[in-house]
Amino acid sequence: MKRQLALIRAIGFVTYKEWAAFRSHMLASLLVGPVLFLVQVFIWQAMFEGKETINGLTLPQMLTYYGVATIIHYITFDFADWNLQMLVRSGKFVTFALRPLPHWVFALSQKLGHRSLALWVEVLPVALLFIFLFNVNLIPAAPGLAMVSIALSFLMSFFINYAVGLSAFWLVRAEGVRRVFLLLKDVSAGVFIPLTFFPEILQKILFFLPFQFITYLPTRVYIGEYELAGIRLTLVEAVGLQALAVAVTGCLTLLLYRAALKRFTGVGV
Amino acid sequence: MRGIITCWAAVIRTKLAEQMAYRSHFALSVLLLIVGDLVAPLVTLLVYRAGASFPGWSLHEALLVQAVFVLAKGVAFPFFFGMVGTTLSQVREGTFDLLLLRPRPVMFMSMLGGFDPEDFGRLLSGAVLFGYALSGIVAPDWQSWLQFSLLFIASITILCSVSLFLSGILFRWVGSSRVFDIFDAVTSFGMYPGTIFSKAMQNILTYVLPIGLIAFVPASALLGKSGWGSLWALASAALLLLLGILFWNRMLRNYTSAGG
Repeated sequence: MKRQLALIRAIGFVTYKEWAAFRSHMLASLLVGPVLFLVQVFIWQAMFEGKETINGLTLPQMLTYYGVATIIHYITFDFADWNLQMLVRSGKFVTFALRPLPHWVFALSQKLGHRSLALWVEVLPVALLFIFLFNVNLIPAAPGLAMVSIALSFLMSFFINYAVGLSAFWLVRAEGVRRVFLLLKDVSAGVFIPLTFFPEILQKILFFLPFQFITYLPTRVYIGEYELAGIRLTLVEAVGLQALAVAVTGCLTLLLYRAALKRFTGVGV
Repeated sequence: MRGIITCWAAVIRTKLAEQMAYRSHFALSVLLLIVGDLVAPLVTLLVYRAGASFPGWSLHEALLVQAVFVLAKGVAFPFFFGMVGTTLSQVREGTFDLLLLRPRPVMFMSMLGGFDPEDFGRLLSGAVLFGYALSGIVAPDWQSWLQFSLLFIASITILCSVSLFLSGILFRWVGSSRVFDIFDAVTSFGMYPGTIFSKAMQNILTYVLPIGLIAFVPASALLGKSGWGSLWALASAALLLLLGILFWNRMLRNYTSAGG
């Protein structure tokens, strides 16, 4: 266990150093995040003209939703799917198949390193811009639960993306599938609009899909109340449900990983 | 001119043949573009369904702005925008040199190389959305259609200019795929009625970064909300295109190839 942790730390640190050389790539978020948020500010200011609430949310709550969702997106951002598909397609995965460490642990360690760098290059500056430029309230209602929920969201986003990446073992060119799936994931996760805006029947379906646990649920936990499809949960219940969903998704991804390795063929393997 | 058309025809044939080697991937990519372009209209629809609206804009009118935006992308992206992606990869890999050796202008070759038939999917989603939006508004008269057609040319010209600027940046900011995020973020202002923005922002979006001219101004013409005066956008688009060409050629001089 101690050896595994040392490995994870070493891989994470190398990834951190590697991406630190391309800081400007992440620094672009300082423009992209606030600009997209500014658009939301104008949209919702216009929408709320003459209205106190829309779908039970006030204007400050709505802007907080988008602000928190953006921050959570930066913390949990994942491209394990792209990376894995590239490795499978190019045949480079063979070097990982020979290593005494499962590739998914390697990929998770890489994500830890990559996002550690993002914490001070992307997350902190964008959060400060939101607080001081847009007056968004980014103080979590229950800091402990919010942190646990974001950590679970981090894992959920990894497991889902990794599972999508595993499709490369079955498809010759899986890029199209990956991009369609990820778009639907973002829509179903509440990235573009709070899920309570969807029709009742869709909300019920979305409640049972794993995607809401990536953005919608942690954002609502951060704000301090959770509701979807008419179901209200306390923050502890919501985070508990999220933990269960992450555990189930994690198990399914690992099963898929085993099945994928049995299919894998490479030069000399 | 005949040579240009021959080049385009050859590239279109080759790219289509290339896509046909991975038919399911091609179909899924087109589907993705259709679904992806319908996300913003879906959000607009959901918000209007919740009883909110952009002041002074009905659902169909707001959707018309977004439809024009998608249609403009449907024309500009397959022909011009691909050069951003090819510049990104070719400059990073050092293979951009191959374009410099060909007996045609480098910018033209870069546009040709970036031609992407997948992007025609946007034309389909734009057309469907455009038809739906038109079904809910008073039928425009011929003058509005004429104004719209001219402003739509300006809209495509602006997108072409933007692709030149983004592509040019990549000669210095080597390999940064974030230019696509920057494009999406900045142009997201253009997907909504310009009147929802503050006066200062409206001026910026019209005169400094003419994002508002991509969809809002042509859609307003079709809705009869702007007069012939809005045709100044044509001159503005032509000026931006000229600046884009100058910028791209200036940035090309910074290309150092693999040897430095």
